[in-house]
Amino acid sequence: MTDEPELELLRRADPVPAGDPRWRDRPLDARAELGLRRLLAAEAASEGAAASAPRRTARRLGGLVTGLAAVAAAVVAVVAVLVLVLTGTGTTPAVAAPVALRPLAGSRGVPLADVAGAAREAAARGGGTGTRRGSHVMMWSMGMESGPGARPPVILPEEHLTRWNADGGGTELVVATDPRHPGKPVISDSGGAPRTVADGAVLHRAAYPPGTLPPYGRSGTEPPDSAKEMRGYLSQVYGCACADTPALLDALTSLLHDWTPGLSGTAAVDELLAAAPGLRPAGAVTDRLGRPGQAYVHDADGLRRMIVLDPADGRVLGIEETFTRDQPEYRVRAGDVMSYQAWMD
Amino acid sequence: MSTDETQSQAFAAAYREHYWAVSRYVARRTAGRQAYDEVEEVVAEVFAVAWRRRAEHPSYSLPWLYGVARNCMANSVRGQGRRRRLLDRIGNHETAHGTHLVPSPGTDAPGSWVHEALGRLAATDQEVLRLTAWEELDVGELAVALGCGRSAAAMRLHRARRRLREQIDRMGMTVTQEGP
Repeated sequence: MTDEPELELLRRADPVPAGDPRWRDRPLDARAELGLRRLLAAEAASEGAAASAPRRTARRLGGLVTGLAAVAAAVVAVVAVLVLVLTGTGTTPAVAAPVALRPLAGSRGVPLADVAGAAREAAARGGGTGTRRGSHVMMWSMGMESGPGARPPVILPEEHLTRWNADGGGTELVVATDPRHPGKPVISDSGGAPRTVADGAVLHRAAYPPGTLPPYGRSGTEPPDSAKEMRGYLSQVYGCACADTPALLDALTSLLHDWTPGLSGTAAVDELLAAAPGLRPAGAVTDRLGRPGQAYVHDADGLRRMIVLDPADGRVLGIEETFTRDQPEYRVRAGDVMSYQAWMD
Repeated sequence: MSTDETQSQAFAAAYREHYWAVSRYVARRTAGRQAYDEVEEVVAEVFAVAWRRRAEHPSYSLPWLYGVARNCMANSVRGQGRRRRLLDRIGNHETAHGTHLVPSPGTDAPGSWVHEALGRLAATDQEVLRLTAWEELDVGELAVALGCGRSAAAMRLHRARRRLREQIDRMGMTVTQEGP
């Protein structure tokens, strides 16, 4: 018995007790250690600018085997392209909510096992660039608020380019842009409240010195090439309960922000998807970057998740999340797209 | 040693010491399926805010970090990275409106109906109780986390406990039963 019975009941109902293996006290793991290093390193590298506004997406890191010079060139190239499209800058922000992808009428869905098989065959043939740390992603996400004074949802389009070198140094670049509306201003919530910025506006740029990440290519660092090992990797690194398909898709999204898998890694991803309960073929689609793909959908939690694969090699082209129920609290309706991410290379 | 270096070292020490406690704080407040990635993202925000505010609050005590975390998880749900919290809120919303109510306290695990009773309280009461029961803060620490005075914190805790007892009573349970 206790003199605080209601508190004792509540203590016993702690959903995350101190011994929970995911969150128990222990030395920092690699990702937490990286977060600390990045916070301090970004502050030093940018004299306060980057670290004073660390973006929610900035922690999604990745690597590259090319040198920093090539990385810098790529970054400059992206910026240049995005700046060039400003020459036709209009005055109306590109705010229209993206329309959910629809499978092409009459198209037949390709079984995931077939795509996984094609991916494994492609891996067996060899070639490709191998696994790289880093990613290049175009993201559309819906910013939402609830409660008194809540602002209506807005679409936040961003392009993320992250590259990491073998020495553990790297760069991050985030720009506001919507390739569906080149030259149009876009909305960004970088720094807090949503505001209109020019197409191509740099939202975040950071350079990290060698050693910020563990040495690239060290055994155990990279995502593995078999489905079984990939499942364990997702569980260990991303806390994925991968028997649950939404959790698997969440973990894969994180993985693909951190890494650009090679052919074998892609095959492993596809094999996991082929075994995912409830993930079913929806037919052929053309994604927001104009690429043909095969769509697979899963419905749960008031949300439809769609993953789009390149049927030729199994590469993940995009992941879309669409509301399947109205959510008046957030002023969103069934059919609104909550997020869409398109991997660009 | 420069002031900057001292601040960096103090911050790094607090980060290492409190990282997992802050993670548990965040994980406890993301109901339903807890995405590791999502929790990690919020925790990263918490420490980023703490780092930005190092000049005004250089001690980085755990109760103070809880307060930062509370603000980070407050009303706004912006961007793809926070969609999990939206989904969780949708789930909570349905619970609050009866969609997922358990038939009676006796038919479900104790945690379910205690959470149910907690969920019927005002958000401020819920947070006071969680900080006390789950983060094990005493009244002084509670005051730091809530950003109020010690006596105000004590009063808020007293009221929140009473309201929780009332909710549990309404659900037909006794608050004096022994544990399992």
